[in-house]
Amino acid sequence: MVDALKVRNAADVEEVVRAAIASEQPLEVIGHGSKRGIGQVTATNAVLDLSALSAVVAYEPNELIITAQAGAPLGDLLSLIDSKSQQFAFDPMDTGPLLGTTGRGTLGGMIAAGLAGSRRVRAGGVRDHLLGAHAVSGFGESFKTGGKVVKNVTGYDLCKLLAGSWGTLAVMTEATLKVMPRPEAERTLVLRGLDDPRANLAMTAALGSPFDVSGAAHLPASSLRPEVEGLGAVGSPREAVTVVRLEGITASAVHRAGSLAKLLAPFGAAEVIADDASAAIWSAVRDVLPFAADGQLGAWTVWRIVCPPVSGGALGQALARQTGGEVIYDWGGGLIWAALPPTADGSAGLVRKLAGAAGGHATLLRAFDEVRQAVDVFPPQPSGVAALEERVRVSFDPKAVLNRGRLRRSVAS
Amino acid sequence: MAIMMPEADSAVLARRGEIVAALRAIVPGEGVIDSAAEMLPYESDGLMAYRQPPMVVVLPETTAQVSQVLKYCHQQGIKVVPRGSGTSLSGGALPLADGVLLGLGKFKRIREIDFDNRVVVTEPGVTNLAISQAVAHAGFYYAPDPSSQIACSIGGNVAENSGGVHCLKYGMTTNNVLGCELVLMNGEVLRIGGKCTENAGYDLMGLITGSEGLLGVVTEVTVRILQKPETARALMVGFAEVEAAGECVARIIGAGIIPGGMEMMDKPAIHAAEAFVHAGYPLDVEALLIIELDGPGVEVDELISRVETIANGCGSTTCRISTSEAERNLFWAGRKAAFPAVGRISPDYLCMDGTIPRGALPKALARIRELSEKYQLGCANVFHAGDGNLHPLILYDANKPGEMERAEAFGADILRCCVELGGVLTGEHGVGIEKRDLMPDMFTEIDLNQQQRVKCAFDSQGLLNPGKVFPTLHRCAELGRMHVHAGKLAFPDLPRF
Repeated sequence: MVDALKVRNAADVEEVVRAAIASEQPLEVIGHGSKRGIGQVTATNAVLDLSALSAVVAYEPNELIITAQAGAPLGDLLSLIDSKSQQFAFDPMDTGPLLGTTGRGTLGGMIAAGLAGSRRVRAGGVRDHLLGAHAVSGFGESFKTGGKVVKNVTGYDLCKLLAGSWGTLAVMTEATLKVMPRPEAERTLVLRGLDDPRANLAMTAALGSPFDVSGAAHLPASSLRPEVEGLGAVGSPREAVTVVRLEGITASAVHRAGSLAKLLAPFGAAEVIADDASAAIWSAVRDVLPFAADGQLGAWTVWRIVCPPVSGGALGQALARQTGGEVIYDWGGGLIWAALPPTADGSAGLVRKLAGAAGGHATLLRAFDEVRQAVDVFPPQPSGVAALEERVRVSFDPKAVLNRGRLRRSVAS
Repeated sequence: MAIMMPEADSAVLARRGEIVAALRAIVPGEGVIDSAAEMLPYESDGLMAYRQPPMVVVLPETTAQVSQVLKYCHQQGIKVVPRGSGTSLSGGALPLADGVLLGLGKFKRIREIDFDNRVVVTEPGVTNLAISQAVAHAGFYYAPDPSSQIACSIGGNVAENSGGVHCLKYGMTTNNVLGCELVLMNGEVLRIGGKCTENAGYDLMGLITGSEGLLGVVTEVTVRILQKPETARALMVGFAEVEAAGECVARIIGAGIIPGGMEMMDKPAIHAAEAFVHAGYPLDVEALLIIELDGPGVEVDELISRVETIANGCGSTTCRISTSEAERNLFWAGRKAAFPAVGRISPDYLCMDGTIPRGALPKALARIRELSEKYQLGCANVFHAGDGNLHPLILYDANKPGEMERAEAFGADILRCCVELGGVLTGEHGVGIEKRDLMPDMFTEIDLNQQQRVKCAFDSQGLLNPGKVFPTLHRCAELGRMHVHAGKLAFPDLPRF
């Protein structure tokens, strides 16, 4: 039977971690468990449940920061900062539709996963907005890193390690994040009928322009991809669309949309979609709704491939052709979502060969347990870097009691 | 010297001749400097109150040489202090008497400019400004702009996580670097990240940035470049009270406006700057804000008007808006020259670098005034108001006995005050040796031990830049030891499901 330990405070977390060290029993660390389906398949006897650490500690809009406990529901935090016309500029992805789970999970889970949305090209990722944290290491000790101000170089920036660490270094109990003003207006330019390499060129031109583009995505023509809510404004999946976003005060967004449309004229005449309809497009792209678990491609394997942006078009096209799969591009081509017909190894060999040749790396974001047992979910690293990462991990958690084996198949005890 | 450095290892010093010869075999010709006269320029960095000649200076030209030098020093148990341009304001590149000073000044080549991926791949000795200049013809620039940008190297920027006046909107170094080539103390050469928007695995690039040369030696950096904004205009706003200026800053941010730069100066700083550069600063105000908006013309005009309305609402006594590039530059001239301007009115000054929550500014300035009385030393304040980064400039005369010690004590009190107000010891200059002994005011022993354990993952013998950042050095074996508490196997007293 799995022991589910619902901690009430940092002292409880220390106690549970120390007991885990003493008993040499690894812990699975969870908030709401919305992302449990991501990572290597692990087996534990004990779950450390942070969902009761749910308080907002301080929200100071004029200081552009929010501090909350790690188990605070992300949805509530997003509503709270939205009520002051602010946002997390990195636009955290909602993995729910892709994985078939409900709820947006917790703050801690969002940080540990480090999955930023389309605005990452302009605003950076989760790692760029995490200012400080309190956490309990695998030594069973509470430590803090960073601070509660936006500018700080005091000591090593361990926040960077915590973001995207999937809970393998320390159990965060509290975090401070930067918040930014929500743009007053947004405009999305839509180009139609471009093939992937050509769309890649259009997105490169847009992102290399002075018009402060905050999103550049491409959805190739597809006969398989389902229609989804949010993308209705751009038309049918049977036709390729390239979308580019501009945000800011209304006059500026309108002005830049006009200027950018001129710049992109060689790629075709751009339509403009405004505000709510534009926002719907971008949340559909961010959350990869066309590959949603409840859609036609719901049983397909989903890879998240990051590569140098200009390599994306050719890489995605080759991958789709060689597998009969579907791809969607974000980050101007620097992020490729690939849904591939299910196979025993998730086509890992091919995906990683193509991604590696393009200078990129691939994470298996959705696959059946058997597939995740058979392949490396996270990108394998060159041996020197892998060894350094392991030494860093051991410096936080020598007994590997925290999410043991979730990141790497080779980590035993 | 008020700050104690690790004791020199006499066994290493006794072998100096042999060590110099071994280094010459790795870096031929003039790349190894061992004469006292020629080592003179290396005995200090931008924190000039502290000086220490190194045992020997090595100036390698290739990654292979860096790797061999480090490998040799690792095998021989010799300490190494890396150095870029030597502009650190916290003593990060202060040499050690028994250490090799490893200068990266010969790594001066930009290796690749890739406009399509919006990155520049460069050697670490290239200056911050040279990167912007190399891409300016295509309308690009490298955003972080520390005020030493003419001289400071990009490798040093990575080590210190350098900021600048534009970092509220565009981020610090850490938000603008994507990858590096890193040589570990044992000579191992690693590639971290590259041209991808996001790196695989743990964010080692984020950890290395701001690690003050304690984790590895960077021999190549990949930075992000941005298109220059279409235009920029500035407002110069005076206030009769510091509180009103602070309120104005809060309301601008509260209105959802993130200026490209937002700087504040107090009366002593305004007067010093005006006397130096004649920027037309009002002399009858207690606080002056310089607020710069950048972007498309239509946006800048609109935001200038919104900011002007906010400033009026906060009781500004003067408000000038730049109507030309020349006027905008004039507004900035005084602020950018504030440090040398203060240098003119005082024989010496100490530049502090704490960060506070923006709202705590009036409290911080009041406390600084009290401390100024207590220590009987003047203080001029310049403030990156947008991000809460305060630079008090403590005026003293090193030739007067006891003044430097008093100035340092004054500075330490200011930094402790920053921590008490919810802020931090350093916003952009780094800990180095300057703030090393104040670290326990901000961090517990457990916090610091965790940081040092991470150091051990990179440098198990503690040979790379020891004596910086951490007040107490521990052996890695001691830090890594697990103190197993009397374990109760059945997690007691917790709600279960």
